[in-house]
Amino acid sequence: MSVKETTIAIQGTEEQGVPLPFKPHKTNSIQQIRYVCSIAAMHSASAIPRVIPITHCGPGCADKQFMNVAFYNGFQGGGYGGGSVVPSTNASEREVVFGGADRLRELIAASLQILDADLFVVLTGCISDLVGDDVGSVVKEFQVQGVPIVFAETGGFKGNNFTGHELVTRAIIDQYVGDYDGPREQGSVNVWSLLPYHNTFWRGDLTEIKRILEGIGLKVNILFGPESRGASEWKNIPKAQFNLVLSPWLGLQTAKHLEAKYRQPFLHVPVIPIGAKETSAFLRQVAQFAGIDVAAAEAFIAKEEGTYYRYLEDFTDFYAEYWWGLPARFAVIGDSAYNLALTKFLVNQLGLIPSKQIITENPPEEYRELIREQYRTIADDVATDVDFQEDSHIIHQLIRQSDFGHKPPIIFGTTWERDLVKELKGAIVEVGFPTSYEVVLARSYIGYRGALTLLEKIYTTAVSASA
Amino acid sequence: MTRINLDTTVVETREQRLGTIIAWDGKASELSHESAYARGGCESSCGQKGRRLCELHGPFTQGSVCSEQMVECQAGNVRDAVLIQHSPIGCGAGQVIYNSIYRNGLAMRNLPVENLRMICTNLQEGDMVFGGVAKLEQSIRDAWERHRPKAIFIGTSCATGIIGDDVDSVASHLEEELQIPVIPLHCEGFKSKHWSTGFDATQHGILRQIVRKNPQKQEDLINVINLWGTDVFTPMLGELGLRVNFVVDLATVADLEQMSEAAATVGFCHTLSSYLATALEQEFGVPEIKAPLPYGFAGTDAWLRELARVTHREEQAEAYIAKEHARVAPRLEELRKQLKGKKGYVATGSAYAHGLIAVLRELGIEVNGSLVFHHDPIYDSQDPRQDSLAYLVDNYGDVPSFSVSNRQQYQFYGLLQRVKPDFILIRHNGLAPLASRLGIPAAPLGDEHHALGYQGMINLGETILDILSHKKFHQDLAAHVTLPYKKEWLAQQDPFILARKPLNVEE
Repeated sequence: MSVKETTIAIQGTEEQGVPLPFKPHKTNSIQQIRYVCSIAAMHSASAIPRVIPITHCGPGCADKQFMNVAFYNGFQGGGYGGGSVVPSTNASEREVVFGGADRLRELIAASLQILDADLFVVLTGCISDLVGDDVGSVVKEFQVQGVPIVFAETGGFKGNNFTGHELVTRAIIDQYVGDYDGPREQGSVNVWSLLPYHNTFWRGDLTEIKRILEGIGLKVNILFGPESRGASEWKNIPKAQFNLVLSPWLGLQTAKHLEAKYRQPFLHVPVIPIGAKETSAFLRQVAQFAGIDVAAAEAFIAKEEGTYYRYLEDFTDFYAEYWWGLPARFAVIGDSAYNLALTKFLVNQLGLIPSKQIITENPPEEYRELIREQYRTIADDVATDVDFQEDSHIIHQLIRQSDFGHKPPIIFGTTWERDLVKELKGAIVEVGFPTSYEVVLARSYIGYRGALTLLEKIYTTAVSASA
Repeated sequence: MTRINLDTTVVETREQRLGTIIAWDGKASELSHESAYARGGCESSCGQKGRRLCELHGPFTQGSVCSEQMVECQAGNVRDAVLIQHSPIGCGAGQVIYNSIYRNGLAMRNLPVENLRMICTNLQEGDMVFGGVAKLEQSIRDAWERHRPKAIFIGTSCATGIIGDDVDSVASHLEEELQIPVIPLHCEGFKSKHWSTGFDATQHGILRQIVRKNPQKQEDLINVINLWGTDVFTPMLGELGLRVNFVVDLATVADLEQMSEAAATVGFCHTLSSYLATALEQEFGVPEIKAPLPYGFAGTDAWLRELARVTHREEQAEAYIAKEHARVAPRLEELRKQLKGKKGYVATGSAYAHGLIAVLRELGIEVNGSLVFHHDPIYDSQDPRQDSLAYLVDNYGDVPSFSVSNRQQYQFYGLLQRVKPDFILIRHNGLAPLASRLGIPAAPLGDEHHALGYQGMINLGETILDILSHKKFHQDLAAHVTLPYKKEWLAQQDPFILARKPLNVEE
């Protein structure tokens, strides 16, 4: 990967003290991880109500992914079918030497007797993928008996939990949802957006996305999280009018697959909207694409904006008059979805200055230029660049060498940045994996309502640390 | 007498050394009898391996824990070392939990809070074909460049075990070049059925490559093998004029080096300390305190007396024992009244559970059931004075429903139905969420020293009072959730039925 020299370019001003370009020495090493492996996509299964993953892997894989992605990351919990419920073959030397297909067959059969699920998703780990178990054949034996079960090969060395998510999604579509040639329901949409559990706030955020899309008159298959109707909702995927990919790149592969499979069009909106300006523009774009009643959509937007700006008006007394100084410059370290969304909001709604944006989930090379372009046009009068880094040692060096001007910055990052922020005497808002010092339930930072919560969080952090 | 073998880089697993089992169901007294530690004249008949116990095998298993995770939680939490995880990125996930625990552990010990130092080699598909040793070498160099550590540990993974990376050669080559210990820890998850082998793997590497081979004895230094718990040992051992050397978590490499110089080794749980303590005695003559664990009056008295005998501090010990008995008695009396009629259930690691049950019974709490994640029929010392299960049964009575279940939540439901406790004690994740959904609160003993010694009885009593009041939360929840288990399974009387009569649930 090429590492770009980065500078902040703010049109109309000559920046003083632009830091010397830091040339990080990137190696294979990843210190302080920011994503995990494909089998963590077991969370994409358990994120669907009444769906239970079955893991065919070593004894520690399921626990490890759960405890790190879903526990020490906002303390989200395992829910109905995740966490310690998840069956695992807990593969031993025997499965390594003789293969694990028989053991998997035995585990699936027992799972059907013990667990109450609408759909099972078998995920494989390194062991199975290395010894070459024919998992497809084993799962097929159950599928032909009518058992709702699918499989995805998610060996840890094959990719990360983002690519694993699309493998699981595709497995469910191809092996469970199946072919469809019936009519389409106009005004109905499938939403592909944040990565469940990895994004600490996904539950609240998907709830807000569903709320605002329904607000303008759409019927929404949100597919993951507490507002999803579970497996039956997935069965409705082919009936939807279109797919909405609301993220810089995650979900695009799924949408393209659905386009090919069901001839279903998709709308790609890279920026997850935060705040009224972005959210209203987003809703108008979706309404236009869907061809739904514009007047109804506008009525909803007007009502939401009314509420939003009432609160913003109250907030301005604080924002304009607070004595003790508020942060002016910020950095965001996180996966592209939240990184881009936050940067857009902080620059355009609050007028903060972007000092450093680092994207950490290793997006596929083909999407990187598209992402860079978003940052170049982050506002009419502000352009910024972005780094792609995964190793926190390098990330922290880049932050240390960034220009934060005359006062301490506010860093939107993860638990890994807690010490760094102390060093910089700045403030931290933990917004991504891992967020080990926040308890997150229904909190959302996006849309109309989430933006207000985000303002509360940012400025509580600043004010609370002041004395 | 079987000796611990430190000649090779690979540790012998628990099941090989001790005959460890992970599934069993019966009475504590039966398990103790079958383990036949001292009672069966073990010393003459144990032979090469520990006792063989009849183990249950069922078709259904839920996600367990692996040895590599225990390597992370020990070698990854040494303050001036680096742990390299030679693995795909998924194994690196553990950096998150052990960072959080490390930070909170440092805070509890009044040490500077910082992030841990673990680096994943991030192996990809191509490395599975061509091998990953070049990446391992690079990551070791990165660790050196970034931190100038006093030691570098390397944890292996299932993937590197299967592809057969020659980790040992890379380690010895870099050890020579960097002039610090570079220590391979073989901890592939599939190699052992119980994760505690990971403790042994870490300790094996430390014994081989860090512990000082020409010790200068420090007659007042005591090795305390623990995790991240609060420092209850310094005040306690201070009464005997002894200093504490905490290992392995939160220790420095220098602390690990001087283990061979100590006057004795103690622990809070044989599951964790067995290998290291026995090997320190075998290799360096540092006596392992052969006594029951320091829980409850009987255990703590005996433990202190044995420590005092070995370190020649009998007088101070007797004075301390008398003083502490008198100090805790009044509050203990009150707690017994407040906790009268309550039923508790212990679901923790093996030897630790034996100690906790003793404390609950000191508090007058009824304990009719307990679950341990594994059972070692014998510990490495093979000394009957460490038979913690027999000690429990002999001094505090039997436990009628005593189960070995390796974090199998689906079995836990039925086990709780047998005894219907008012609360449970836990340490590891996975079981309390189920208890909670049944209206039963749990006390998570994150601080493993919470129930230890005389004060531990009071601590645990106070904590139980706190969590009993949480019952309101759990009972409200229980009325509003559905469990992911089928009705037929929940109606099943025997949680081990699948192992006894495979695939016969409907009967």
